[in-house]
Amino acid sequence: MGNRIQLMDEMNRLHHDVLAMGTRVEEDLRRAIEAFKTQDVELAKEVKADDAVVNALQLKIDDQAAILIATQQPVARDLRELVTIFKVTDNLERAGDHAVHLAKAAIKLAGEPGFRQGERLERMAETGCEMLRGAVAAYLNRDVEEARRVAALDDAIDREHKALVEEVLELMRERPDQVKRAARLLTTSGFLERLGDHMTNVCEAVVYMVEGVHVELNE
Amino acid sequence: MSAMTKLFRNNGAKTDFAIPTDASVGLDASVGLDASVGPDAGAAPGAAEAPALDVRGLDISYADGFRAVKELSMIFPRRSVTAIIGPSGCGKSTALRAFNRMNELIPGTKTGGEVLFHGINVYDPGVDPVQVRRWIGMVFQKPNPFPKTIHENIAWGARINGFSGDMDELVESSLKQVALWDEVKDKLKQSAFALSGGQQQRLCIARAIAVRPEIILMDEPTSALDPISTSKIEDLLDELKKRYTIIIVTHNMQQAGRVSDSTAFLLHGELVEYAPTKELFFNPRDERTENYLSGRFG
Repeated sequence: MGNRIQLMDEMNRLHHDVLAMGTRVEEDLRRAIEAFKTQDVELAKEVKADDAVVNALQLKIDDQAAILIATQQPVARDLRELVTIFKVTDNLERAGDHAVHLAKAAIKLAGEPGFRQGERLERMAETGCEMLRGAVAAYLNRDVEEARRVAALDDAIDREHKALVEEVLELMRERPDQVKRAARLLTTSGFLERLGDHMTNVCEAVVYMVEGVHVELNE
Repeated sequence: MSAMTKLFRNNGAKTDFAIPTDASVGLDASVGLDASVGPDAGAAPGAAEAPALDVRGLDISYADGFRAVKELSMIFPRRSVTAIIGPSGCGKSTALRAFNRMNELIPGTKTGGEVLFHGINVYDPGVDPVQVRRWIGMVFQKPNPFPKTIHENIAWGARINGFSGDMDELVESSLKQVALWDEVKDKLKQSAFALSGGQQQRLCIARAIAVRPEIILMDEPTSALDPISTSKIEDLLDELKKRYTIIIVTHNMQQAGRVSDSTAFLLHGELVEYAPTKELFFNPRDERTENYLSGRFG
């Protein structure tokens, strides 16, 4: 007979819920990318509306985790796993916000001709999406190696961001009539850069959960 | 034993009270207990089904006049674990013992109010306390196996209750239900005293369920046990509640948090708060509950 059956059952349920939340955010992000690529305003609006669902999932998971701490007195690794849940849901919720930011950019930029920076934003979002999927998998599998691999992907997002900023500054100098659009590109890029940081945070939380140490995966 | 068993003595009692012998059989709808009766404070958290036990205005005084339990009304949902917590002397054990008339063994105890089991007050004149205890079993703080073999500890209660089936099978299934079978199957003829404290307590639970009760009362069942044995008993409760209703008194509130579905907080013999355990531990409504749970109690 294994011990602490109830605690284990409830923690497994929480892990499922985190997976559900991660999947939902990933879907939103994919749809936001699609809306951005195809200038699909309706799809972008759906992504915006879905944010409330993601937020509600976070609150539900956090409440359940808090109740488990109150009723089951977890210690050591069990406690770290529960503390990690708060970190993971917090960062997933922020990732959901960034999906919304991309969707909003899709709405605002709809009708504009295609542009090189748009492709950079798409690539950043795609990489963010890959990081999200990998980070949630690393969390569920308690896989520190995977967490480190996923965190390293953030470099690609940062490089795109830097290049985009340079290009957009250039654009602003040359085409004052395009400043409004350029500013939107800059902020959107900033949000996607943060998306990578949030997924890195999840990866760091996985290392903390498994090894009990705080690490900085992307100095 | 017939399929139906009489709780009442045949001494001119008005009602032929019968309940299914199989604990897994649902409550006879014709009993018609109204779960909505009783003060709000005592309403079973979220219980729609007919309750396992409906306590109304239970009032208990000892011979010296001390009023240990004051007007306690509580509804206990079926097949769940309900914990009663509170500081020493709050009346929780006294209340528990009243549920199957164990306080009568303490001279001078006065009990008022009702304890309704299948709609019948177990304190009605004509109700046989021995039969009450057969349907509402008890497990005590200190393991108290009989000075007999492991096998006989299980078989004895069933035998005097008229069990005529395969005794070895009953012993085996009872021991399996408490996850003790693998540990003792090769020494069933040895004295129960040869077992560890934790094993003895699980044997006592097996003994309690061998007579197929509906309710098992537990009075601090792990306070004499080490942490590993405690954990085994706690896990066991999660299994047992699929078939039995469990009411556990514990001075260890963390244990109440871990094992129970509902928790009642008693103070000075009064019910302060009764709620789903998750609610009570996360966001208690009464400040006294909050203070007790968080250790700020004077």
